[in-house]
Amino acid sequence: MSATHADGALPQEPEKATLEGRNKVLGFWLFLGGEAVLFGTLFATFLALRNQTNEGPTANELFHLPMTAAATLILLVSSLTSVFAVQALHRHKVAALRVWLMVTVLLGLGFLGLEIYEFADYVTAEKFGMTTSAFSSSFYTLVGFHGAHVAFGVLWISVIIGQLFKKGLTVVTAPKVYVSAMYWHFIDVVWVFIFTVVYLLGKVG
Amino acid sequence: MTTADRQASRDVVKHSARHEGPQKHIIVFIFSIILTAIAFAAVAAGGVNPAFTVILLLAMAVLQVFVQMGYWMHLKDRGHMMPILFMVGGFFIAGTAIVMALYWVWW
Repeated sequence: MSATHADGALPQEPEKATLEGRNKVLGFWLFLGGEAVLFGTLFATFLALRNQTNEGPTANELFHLPMTAAATLILLVSSLTSVFAVQALHRHKVAALRVWLMVTVLLGLGFLGLEIYEFADYVTAEKFGMTTSAFSSSFYTLVGFHGAHVAFGVLWISVIIGQLFKKGLTVVTAPKVYVSAMYWHFIDVVWVFIFTVVYLLGKVG
Repeated sequence: MTTADRQASRDVVKHSARHEGPQKHIIVFIFSIILTAIAFAAVAAGGVNPAFTVILLLAMAVLQVFVQMGYWMHLKDRGHMMPILFMVGGFFIAGTAIVMALYWVWW
């Protein structure tokens, strides 16, 4: 048992030990339900407009499967490392928890780098800008919104790592870690639909 | 029962049944990789009937999302009725938006 807690043992599932922690987790699920609606409307717009290319590049000309596969693998591995982070949380191993969160953040940054490279290539080499066609607008809005979620997650989890260094693992910091891991899994779930609906179905036609 | 006894018995519980290992999460990860690989291979191979490919891709995605939400987001665990309700509600409205948008634009 960690000696850093003056008031005795850290409870078994510290993220659900206090009413505040339980409410935070429950409230976060309501937020994720809202996120599902948000991404649902962006998918709806994309699916409706994906063939309106306005004589610009089509999905089949644009997308490169190896790059999408690499981004998918990075995000899937990062989802697994945040599972390991929550397992370290449940074992009260704060050092391991910090390491797994850092690995998750680094993988998130790798994903973002790949996406920025991809978008820059589309805009410069392929002349596929935000205003090129209804397809390009709906593509950048949907995939860019997901990328913005990854960027926010990277910042958020980085701040939580800082709090873990400063405050250690307590019933206050544990719900933050748990909830950020749920967020990260949800971002990966959204990406599963993006690589399927946007990239793979774009190649099929 | 002294405080020390209670602490000791709590530690015993802590290190036994409630601590699941990483095995099943690694199985979920490998399962996700396989589903993803099937989806990419079906597209990369080409020549497969497009209608069948679309159904296959969507099936692989939905299966992967179900498994990840069940195990990695703990939705299969006890005490998750409200989170399941929120997610089902969110996905239902999302699905309605997709059907509506396609109906407006395609027909």
